[in-house]
Amino acid sequence: MARRSRVQVPEEDTELNMTPMLDVVFILLIFFIVTSVFVKTPGIDPEQPVASTDAEWKPTILIAINDSNEIWIDKRPYSIEEIRPVITTIRDESPKAEAIIKAAGGAEVGTVMAVQELMQDLKITTRVGTE
Amino acid sequence: MRRGRRNNQGDEADVDMTPMLDIVFIMLIFFIVTATFLDETAIDLTQPPPPPEDSPPPKDPPPAITVFVDGRNQCAVDGRRTTCDRVTLAVERLLADKPGASVILRMDERSKHELLVDIKDGLDGRGLGSKIEIIKASDA
Repeated sequence: MARRSRVQVPEEDTELNMTPMLDVVFILLIFFIVTSVFVKTPGIDPEQPVASTDAEWKPTILIAINDSNEIWIDKRPYSIEEIRPVITTIRDESPKAEAIIKAAGGAEVGTVMAVQELMQDLKITTRVGTE
Repeated sequence: MRRGRRNNQGDEADVDMTPMLDIVFIMLIFFIVTATFLDETAIDLTQPPPPPEDSPPPKDPPPAITVFVDGRNQCAVDGRRTTCDRVTLAVERLLADKPGASVILRMDERSKHELLVDIKDGLDGRGLGSKIEIIKASDA
């Protein structure tokens, strides 16, 4: 009897010290909260031209243009005439936003610059993405 | 034995941490899943706003070198055909003759975005500012 209970007790309520794990979990949580940026990804990743004078850019609005001049915002393709209200909505959600146009190398200059002009018109600082 | 147990409870009242842990884990997973790490590089192609229309045109405008790219992606510098990767060299050569000239990049709207970035990057890399003009296909 005595022997049996002795063997069972440690198995039933072994108390693990959770404190170190909790510390790690909290640190991870805080890291992810701090680094998280909520951006609407365009949904495509076009092959952008290469440039040597480029600089790092931390945008919150991402717009992609593919080789066939479709403008992708938040995983949906638009044409140039349709994007003004879409961008206006995004800008109103985050007024201090900065944007990037991720244009494929084979896209037409006219489309890229028209989008950029529209962004400037809406007072959004815009850069054109490179690799 | 019994006494020791009671002591234990008094010293560190055991709070049940499990519900909080559950929430913390759910938050952690949420932030891990939604995390996007942006690693973007970009160049500035924005143009200064055009001068107001009622302002008089500047007297003695500085000489300009025009780089033209047509709708078939062929490049020309001041009217002379060049291959597109030699545009920067051609501009530099012309600049020796016309010191202080400004560079104007005239792109047909159907030309490739790649070319604009290449040429602009080449000029910027040599410290030459340039102005971009887009020519509508209907005007050409």
